[in-house]
Amino acid sequence: MARPGFVLEVDDRTPPLVVHDGPGYRLEKFPLGTEVVYAPEALAPVDDQAEAIAAALDSPTDSAPLSELLRPGMKLTIAFDDITTPTPRMRRPDIRGRIIEAVLTRAARAGVDDVALICAIGVNRRNTDAELQQMLGERVFRSFFADGLLTNHDADDDNLSVLGGGEAGEVAVNTRAAASDLLVFVHVATNADGGGAAAMATGLGSTATVCSVHGLQGVLSDGAAAASAGRVVAAALPVFSIEAVLDNHIFGQPLEFLGKREWEWSIRDQVTWLGLRRALALSPSKTRRRLFTAAAGGYSVVGINAGAPAAVRAQSTKLLLQQQLVQMQGQADVGVIGVPEQTPYSIDSVTNPILAAWRGLSAAFSSADGVPFVREGGALVLYHPMPVEFSPLHHPSYVDFFADVLTATIDPLQIQEKFEAKFATDPWYSHLYRTSNAFHGVHPFHLWYRIAAARTHCSDIVWVGADRSSAERLGFRAASTLADALEIVSARVGRSPTIRYLHNPPQIIAEVR
Amino acid sequence: MSGRELARWAIPAGRRGVAGAVREAITDLTDVAAGWHWGRGVSAPRSAEADPAAAEAPGYDTAWARSLPIRALREVVQVGVLHPLLGRQVNLEVHGVEEFGELDGPVLLVANHSSHLDTAAVLATLPAGRRRRTVVATAVDGGTTRWRAGGPAIAFHALPIERSDQTLASTAGELLAGGWTLIVYPEGSRSADGFVGAFGSAAAQLAVEQHVPIVPVGLRGSYAAMPRGRAWPTPGRPRVSVRYGSAIRPGTGESVEQLTSRVETTVLQLIAEDATSWWAVQRSAGLPALDPPTASWRRIWEQSAELPPSGPARPRIWRG
Repeated sequence: MARPGFVLEVDDRTPPLVVHDGPGYRLEKFPLGTEVVYAPEALAPVDDQAEAIAAALDSPTDSAPLSELLRPGMKLTIAFDDITTPTPRMRRPDIRGRIIEAVLTRAARAGVDDVALICAIGVNRRNTDAELQQMLGERVFRSFFADGLLTNHDADDDNLSVLGGGEAGEVAVNTRAAASDLLVFVHVATNADGGGAAAMATGLGSTATVCSVHGLQGVLSDGAAAASAGRVVAAALPVFSIEAVLDNHIFGQPLEFLGKREWEWSIRDQVTWLGLRRALALSPSKTRRRLFTAAAGGYSVVGINAGAPAAVRAQSTKLLLQQQLVQMQGQADVGVIGVPEQTPYSIDSVTNPILAAWRGLSAAFSSADGVPFVREGGALVLYHPMPVEFSPLHHPSYVDFFADVLTATIDPLQIQEKFEAKFATDPWYSHLYRTSNAFHGVHPFHLWYRIAAARTHCSDIVWVGADRSSAERLGFRAASTLADALEIVSARVGRSPTIRYLHNPPQIIAEVR
Repeated sequence: MSGRELARWAIPAGRRGVAGAVREAITDLTDVAAGWHWGRGVSAPRSAEADPAAAEAPGYDTAWARSLPIRALREVVQVGVLHPLLGRQVNLEVHGVEEFGELDGPVLLVANHSSHLDTAAVLATLPAGRRRRTVVATAVDGGTTRWRAGGPAIAFHALPIERSDQTLASTAGELLAGGWTLIVYPEGSRSADGFVGAFGSAAAQLAVEQHVPIVPVGLRGSYAAMPRGRAWPTPGRPRVSVRYGSAIRPGTGESVEQLTSRVETTVLQLIAEDATSWWAVQRSAGLPALDPPTASWRRIWEQSAELPPSGPARPRIWRG
């Protein structure tokens, strides 16, 4: 039976604990009395994925079975999450491919000829052919790609369809999706915040629609803008939603031991740890990145839900909370988080300082009821080297954001006023986004607004082991060790703060009592 | 708009050289060795002890102790070293071994426990075939680690599967189901004064669950030969008696508590048989072990007296 998550109190028996430190790991001996939050163990997987998919499609929630929604002569569009979910990637076969195969089998049986597949990238980068094939499987890829029926969504397309006005502005989506008799949306649920009709709005929406949700006003609306855009989409489009919920078994072989509690490591695990540390230390940065990219997660599917978007989202959220929720008493004065190398936006790429900051701070604010695990005015200590390295292929706008925007100001309001429109409409960024594999020009802004929200909550954010120039550019502090970081933050939180280390990944949702 | 003024001392990170890499490798090794207490092993943190897995696992995998090379090594150690050594240090007497002739398959050997000699004495007196398929259940505690328990695991096949509340980990049932005989000491730990303490019910519970018979074993003289605090038997080849009783099977409708009581009484009878005789015990001549003296020094005094030779005094043939 899966053990629930729990909060450990560090004592003299506690061995050093694993902390993710970007492209590497370290063992940290935490001060006595530190609370360490461990995620629950992985839930039991479904016995047979094919049966679970069939059961979901044939007995959906708040909807007729999929087979009854399909008829000859109809226009069917299948949209699916892009490669950013899950992180790290799934082993083959990806659950998206299996679900879409089941949908297409029913469509073929029903005589549906007009079928198109869209990768719902939103303002993320276009997925490569290899990535599409990895997600969909060879059968589906070969059946649709060559005829141009398998495409990446284009948020900068001039011919998107306007569905209506939400609270935050006009909602426009992919024209093919809007004109379909049925839109089947396949989502891989690893996060209680994602999915549902809001994910369709951002995944298939125009740049303006995405900015209304992820821009500064959207972030400040605390989810209201996303919900509003989702309602417009759900009301306007006939949607059949399918969500596959994954467990949190993110470490595949041979790194499975990193998901174990440290005092349960065997000798073999300890030796593997030493070997891993040496291998990472001696490898050049390119090789290290390849190692991390190649490492697939050990995920299993714990549930597949299908039907009306709202009902499906509710079912998935319930499972995700069961998988990721950990209760803790009160908020801490100091929160400690290790930032892993792989982020959703640096798959097969470089994790630049902005991505690292977003990844670490988003983990800090993952909570069930909006109460973070660190109190307002508390401090955050994060681990990542924050090297000044960028991928010009995937993150060209990030290069300029780091070099030009952050040297001018870090204030989100000023950034929005002075720079966002310029980046959003820059023809070169748009060209790279639409034809190459670059993230949209506005992408770094959306992440920055989330980072700024975290900065408002905390009095100090210190990065252990970070490049000082990088941390300074982002408006953070850098420290060499945990002790130095605690020394720095002691001016605001006192000499004896409550320290709480979030032992993630895997993802933890905090429930603070 | 004027730009930000960045701190001039915030310089980019430098690269570390070979010396730094070597230092880091040494630090890693010492961190792991110190953190996992190489040589002593690591226990679960106190706040994790309520965790079901911490309560269940002995702290490390024990299957290695049943691998073929270890079993071969154990045979050499027991037959070649321990048994001869034991025979030289104590006068070992065994009775009731013939009870095993009628028993096939695994059994639970339940014995009183007052000395580290007990395990060696039982193993030395078991039939060879059964001895090779015997595991000794010892206590799990914070100090029981892979390193410290490795020696007893090799020499005696002693495995820490008895929890601090005297229940047995699920490994015990798995071993019995796999055909292994299990030696269990229901008192929990060695007697401090040589007298038999109260029996826990874990062995009876296991016998009921796994449908295996219990063979009671009465040990007498081991406390006098090597009590707590001694690491070597007392000189003079003291007598140690090992008596095996008839197999006890749970009766229909018999509760675990009743079975425990029956086993405890049988063990006490076996000890008393050595002190008196079987007939005297049958005629309820008293079970001295049940009425120990009140004062602890007198209990220790009584139990640490060397056992007289068993049986009637041999007549002197030659009179001088």
